[in-house]
Amino acid sequence: MENGLWELLGSKGLLKKHEFIRVLVQCLYSLGFKKSASCLEHESNILYKSADFGLLEKQVLSGNWDSCVAVLDRIFDSSSDDTRNTALYLVLKQCLVEYLKQGDVSLALNVLRKQAPLLGMGKDKIHRLACDIVYSKEMESGEADSFLVQDLRKHLLVEVEKLIPLPIVIPERRLEHLVESAVLHQIDTCLYHNSWDAVSLYKDHCCGRDQIPSETIQILMAHKNEVWFVQFSNSGKYLATASSDCTAMIWKILDDNKVELKHTLESHQNPVSFVSWSPDDTKLLTCGNAEVLKLWDVETGVLRHTFGNNNTGSTVSSCAWFPDSTRLVCGSSDPERGIVMWDTDGNEIKAWRGTRIPKVVDLAVTPDGESMITVFSDKEIRILHLETKVERVISEEQAITSLSVSGDGKFFIVNLSSQEIHLWDLAGEWNQPLKFSGHRQSKYVIRSCFGGLDSSFIASGSEDSQVYLWNLKNAKPLEVLSGHSMTVNCVSWNPRNPRMLASASDDQTIRIWGPGKPNKPEKWLDNQKMQ
Amino acid sequence: MDPRQFEHSVVDDKDIHSIVMSYLLHNCFNETADSLASCTGVKLPADDRDNIQRRKQIIHFVLEMKALKAVELTEQLAKDLLEKNKDLHFDLLRLHFVELVCARKCNEAIEFAKTILAPFGTVQKYVEKLEDAMALLAYDDPEKSPLFHLLSSEYRQQVADDLNRTILEHTNQPSYTPMERIIQHVTVVRQYLTEENGKDAFPPFSLKDSLKG
Repeated sequence: MENGLWELLGSKGLLKKHEFIRVLVQCLYSLGFKKSASCLEHESNILYKSADFGLLEKQVLSGNWDSCVAVLDRIFDSSSDDTRNTALYLVLKQCLVEYLKQGDVSLALNVLRKQAPLLGMGKDKIHRLACDIVYSKEMESGEADSFLVQDLRKHLLVEVEKLIPLPIVIPERRLEHLVESAVLHQIDTCLYHNSWDAVSLYKDHCCGRDQIPSETIQILMAHKNEVWFVQFSNSGKYLATASSDCTAMIWKILDDNKVELKHTLESHQNPVSFVSWSPDDTKLLTCGNAEVLKLWDVETGVLRHTFGNNNTGSTVSSCAWFPDSTRLVCGSSDPERGIVMWDTDGNEIKAWRGTRIPKVVDLAVTPDGESMITVFSDKEIRILHLETKVERVISEEQAITSLSVSGDGKFFIVNLSSQEIHLWDLAGEWNQPLKFSGHRQSKYVIRSCFGGLDSSFIASGSEDSQVYLWNLKNAKPLEVLSGHSMTVNCVSWNPRNPRMLASASDDQTIRIWGPGKPNKPEKWLDNQKMQ
Repeated sequence: MDPRQFEHSVVDDKDIHSIVMSYLLHNCFNETADSLASCTGVKLPADDRDNIQRRKQIIHFVLEMKALKAVELTEQLAKDLLEKNKDLHFDLLRLHFVELVCARKCNEAIEFAKTILAPFGTVQKYVEKLEDAMALLAYDDPEKSPLFHLLSSEYRQQVADDLNRTILEHTNQPSYTPMERIIQHVTVVRQYLTEENGKDAFPPFSLKDSLKG
């Protein structure tokens, strides 16, 4: 070959130059640059279409079936190859179609009976051809319209091309595929990757701290005591916090990402340790370990309902909503109460009580409303499918303090007092959980959450007053955020803004975290239009 | 009661005659039936004569590779019988297709298949049977094809038997002869006894062996 086409390219000499050029030619053709493609073919002496395929194309389009079959026979090595037989079948079928259209039944039958068996296509395919004679729409005898026949032949060529082995035919858009694979691989190893913007081909993709929340952008001081819980609304426009000062607060996220207090919800007599937003964000539930469950209207901040009453001590430790925003379920730290499902008017719909229902540590409902996950005191996780009543049990070896479900409903995480966070799949295919560690947790209830693009991150509070962030690909923390002065109890990642995180601490403040400073400041030119 | 003491059980001659008669009538052996009637005095019901004659003709058409004629006569005999027995109707039509292919009338066969058989192809259970029949087209010598059983007289007999039974059922007559039933009973009882008592106590029922005495 001329032009040193046997050369190898790439720093490791793994790429064959002639293949590289052929792929380039294909790319030019598929982008519509026929002249350039043809020019490159000329200059490099490498044709996109191999000689064999060119020959096959010619035979198919002119209906020279015998030659066509001969070419195919030569291209495929062995007759036991099913793709070979399928290709032959397609060609013979077209041949039969054309004969039948001309009304030549005996010629068609001759092909079927005398020629087909010689090709070694296999009985199945020959029988199928026989059936096609009767059933195939294309075999309707009619005008042998030459345009129709050409069309059918072109279509046949496209179908046969898909069956031809490498390197006679190469898969379409090969260069695009190779580049995309490289990019996807880079994204795969990018631990800070948090947005789905198109990447630049000019440099290897690698996101930095500016993609994830890692700097404090605001400190919210309004609670008068330890803040135990924080959660963004589903729309990401509001934030709810709960404190041992016996109040809960609703905050609004403004357009410039500043957070402003909207309502203070006062009515509880005891510390509030848990809140839950209704899926439509119009209602908020609040409850506490020694407190009843209350329902509030988000817009007005008015108390709508108190479930049960204080006298009977119906203390609710955790609660969750169903997708219809009218049914909710709550679990109690008092085993007598069990788990109860209510509607927003205060009617009890269903209850689970009894010896099988011990103290409920935490509770969640999957986003599709089909399953309820409950953490029972204190090492057992039960996943109940509400309709089929099928239950799956996971027994952890250490005490669990909290539970959180991913936005897509496929995974959930639990914080263990052994300083590990375990990630399980809801489908139940995993035997072992994924484990994350690095934070501190031994005495208190510490909560974690999923966050970021496609829930690819986890954030957790910690007893060392820091916020810990992990990329799911790595068991060790990606970032450790300092700022709080006391234990961070709970974190919440904004579901609509992957670069915003909130944390609640015993230091009575809530911190809002935003994009960090990039690792190295950089500018590059985006694509400029050439006039 | 010991099954080996069956020699002591009494059988009425009249019963035997009626069993034989029903067998003859089922299979349309009307001349033999007449003969038996005159020898033994067992009566042939009069109105059945015509029915038996027509049934005989229909069955023979199937065996003689004139399936379409059989279909035509069946429709005359019982209007909606084939409509109510689609599987049987299909088998008969398929036989006609096979006959055409055997007679080397391929154009006609293809036309027939396209117009009459193809509609059956929309129902999943007929698809495989259709494909088997169509495959015959691929062979110069259908007798040498893997589907040769469709051309065999055994297969035609099977379809004929099926048709016979269906006609009898349609006219509210028993579709299985007492003779067949009795033999089926014996076979099952023997099998049961063998399972209960071990292989050697009671060998499986063989009609051939029984006839030897």
